[in-house]
Amino acid sequence: MIGRKLECIDAGSEYCPCFLAEANECITCSHLQGKEFCDCNWRGVCIYQEYVWAGHRKKEIRSSYPAAVIEKNNISANTIVYKLQVTKTLARELDNPGAYVFMRDKAKPVFFDVPMSVMAVDTIKGEIYVALQVQGAKTKALAGPENDIIVRGPYWNGILGQRYLKSIKDGSCLVIARGIGQAPAVKVVRYLSRGNNRVRIIVDPGKAGAVFGNEFIKDLPYEIEELDLNSKQGVKVVNRYLKNESYDLVFSGGSDKQHLYIIQEIDRLENKPFIVVTNNNEICCGEGICGSCSTRIDSGVRVKACKVQLDVRKVIERRILNG
Amino acid sequence: MVNIVIIGGGWAGCAAAVAARQAGAEVLLLEKTDMLLGLGNVGGIMRNNGRYTAAEEMISLGIGKLFGITDRAARHSMVEFPGHSHATLYDVTKVEPMVRKLLYEMGVEIRLMSRAIDTIKKGNAIKGILMADDTVTEGDVFVETTGSTGPMGNCLKYGNGCSMCILRCPSFGPRTSISQRAGVEDILGQRGDECYGAFSGSCKLNKDSLSEEIRETLNQRGVVVLKVPTEDVKVEKLSVKVCQQYALKEYAENIVLLDTGHAKLMTPFYPLDKLRKIPGMENARYEDPYSGGKGNSVRYLSIAPRNNSMKVDGLENLLCGGEKAGLFVGHTEAITTGSLAGHNSVRLTLGMPLLELPRNLVTGDIIAYANERIKTKEGLKKRYTFAGAEYFERMKERKMYTIDKQEIERRVDRMDLTDIFSEKLV
Repeated sequence: MIGRKLECIDAGSEYCPCFLAEANECITCSHLQGKEFCDCNWRGVCIYQEYVWAGHRKKEIRSSYPAAVIEKNNISANTIVYKLQVTKTLARELDNPGAYVFMRDKAKPVFFDVPMSVMAVDTIKGEIYVALQVQGAKTKALAGPENDIIVRGPYWNGILGQRYLKSIKDGSCLVIARGIGQAPAVKVVRYLSRGNNRVRIIVDPGKAGAVFGNEFIKDLPYEIEELDLNSKQGVKVVNRYLKNESYDLVFSGGSDKQHLYIIQEIDRLENKPFIVVTNNNEICCGEGICGSCSTRIDSGVRVKACKVQLDVRKVIERRILNG
Repeated sequence: MVNIVIIGGGWAGCAAAVAARQAGAEVLLLEKTDMLLGLGNVGGIMRNNGRYTAAEEMISLGIGKLFGITDRAARHSMVEFPGHSHATLYDVTKVEPMVRKLLYEMGVEIRLMSRAIDTIKKGNAIKGILMADDTVTEGDVFVETTGSTGPMGNCLKYGNGCSMCILRCPSFGPRTSISQRAGVEDILGQRGDECYGAFSGSCKLNKDSLSEEIRETLNQRGVVVLKVPTEDVKVEKLSVKVCQQYALKEYAENIVLLDTGHAKLMTPFYPLDKLRKIPGMENARYEDPYSGGKGNSVRYLSIAPRNNSMKVDGLENLLCGGEKAGLFVGHTEAITTGSLAGHNSVRLTLGMPLLELPRNLVTGDIIAYANERIKTKEGLKKRYTFAGAEYFERMKERKMYTIDKQEIERRVDRMDLTDIFSEKLV
């Protein structure tokens, strides 16, 4: 086994090949890594062929769009849910678990772009819902009374383990969402419902201070339980579910600490459900260029977490346990 | 129990499966597409020139089942065409189901649409094959017969782009070099100009798209030779071909068609508008590769270094056959090398000495000769086949070429190797 084959979320999309191909840094194609022969991690299309046919250039890059604010709900002291008008095409492209956009106030420079999970979309009207927790300079700039918002997208790597999510049918699933992690969980639950899965949902308001995702899944026949995951009682309940109900897939929307706790609990189980988690890396450009999401995996290789479907266990263990 | 895993279900892989099964092993055959035989589904030429000698040797060595099928599936036998004698042309539309049936009857487990992508190793031994669906296939000994053709990026970089050949990479995913994934560097064949790889040497036309006269002659005699308009004769095109046995002047000045169910056109590719200028070909269209007017698949980009028992150098339990094992051309060559790899996979598992075919048999000699030549700069530009070019000349010089079946039987018997491949080892 030589080299590590990485799975790029954008491979084969209309934004592939990208800047990385032009720089001989493609995540998937060996030719576009400067090698002489094919040894790719096949994603269903030949990226080299696309590159050559595009005139040895990348494809069109993602655009930034002005997005009119249709609704703005302050749902707690620090959390806002925006309903934004975008193009129908963008809405359709964002109708996918793990989808996110970059947002900024129009008056601010591009480095105010902040990645935000898309919670729900209306593809008929071209509307998207985004939940925002005010934390630092970038999010504060979006929390003013009147904002003209620019969105850039679509991006898709907001969730790690998407192949498991997309393969599961007629299964039993547990969705755990805390704080702002409720936002990506909504699309996960909707996706699981399409595959005729049974889903138990546990929600913790966390630092967002409110439960806001339920509204978007109230039409689905799933039981939603509100718990404090930091309390002994909350942990006990989650452990009981994990132990007593043989899950095929567990989703964790929340902090890396929460992911780690769930991974460790799962490791104690006899059956090992698939693990799907929110991607908590610091994403800045989304294009694999800026380096802010760069993370080392066990083989010492640096990986761009904004584009690569990382092995959940490895990335969490490295970040939390090995500092 | 001895578990042999064969990666790649072309002629070489099928031959390895037959040989390993005859030796008594449990055999699992992995194939990435939905059909066995790979390029054998578009080939069809057997027993021409020295391939006759080789086929009869293999039959005497006890591994004749696949030759039995290609003989039974023949549309024509004892066909003569430029530079070639006593060819058998098997029907490409009949042979795959026959081989599949044979393997099932022999108890080979076949997994179609199962693409190997990597190896799991322990030290220098392969423990398992990682599949595209993330599962791992374990075994005692592995035989790699993944060929050396494509995938798309290679066909684009070293050829004229994907020509939509029978391997159907866009549908089933690319070939992976298992030996290279296991850490053993591939050897690369070259063309005359030292560019890497070479085009497959022929394409197929839809027979119904040709004139009635051509069709009838093909059906009756198996071969049609048509003159190329003088302005379109391109002798230099011969140098890009894999099949140096067909890289003769006659093939530049003429169109040679053979009846293998489709009309096999003995040139790597031919622009459709030029082809349609030839009388009788006005409505011609390609059957394989679909874009035969533009290009063909590029081959010889992935050869494993090996010894003459077909074991891959540097790995304890990987053998190889077919194009993966050298700059070989043709089904007979694939069946020969694949059979030896399959047989030796069982010997390797049991700790027995590996069989090396002696050099006074053509089958043993070509394996050893191709291995010597691939280590030289000139040798990398040559192809090795019983049917022509350098190796057939050698056969004739050394008086090894014969179509006398009894003589061939005597040669094998003199080596005390009669039916060696039929012996059950497990």
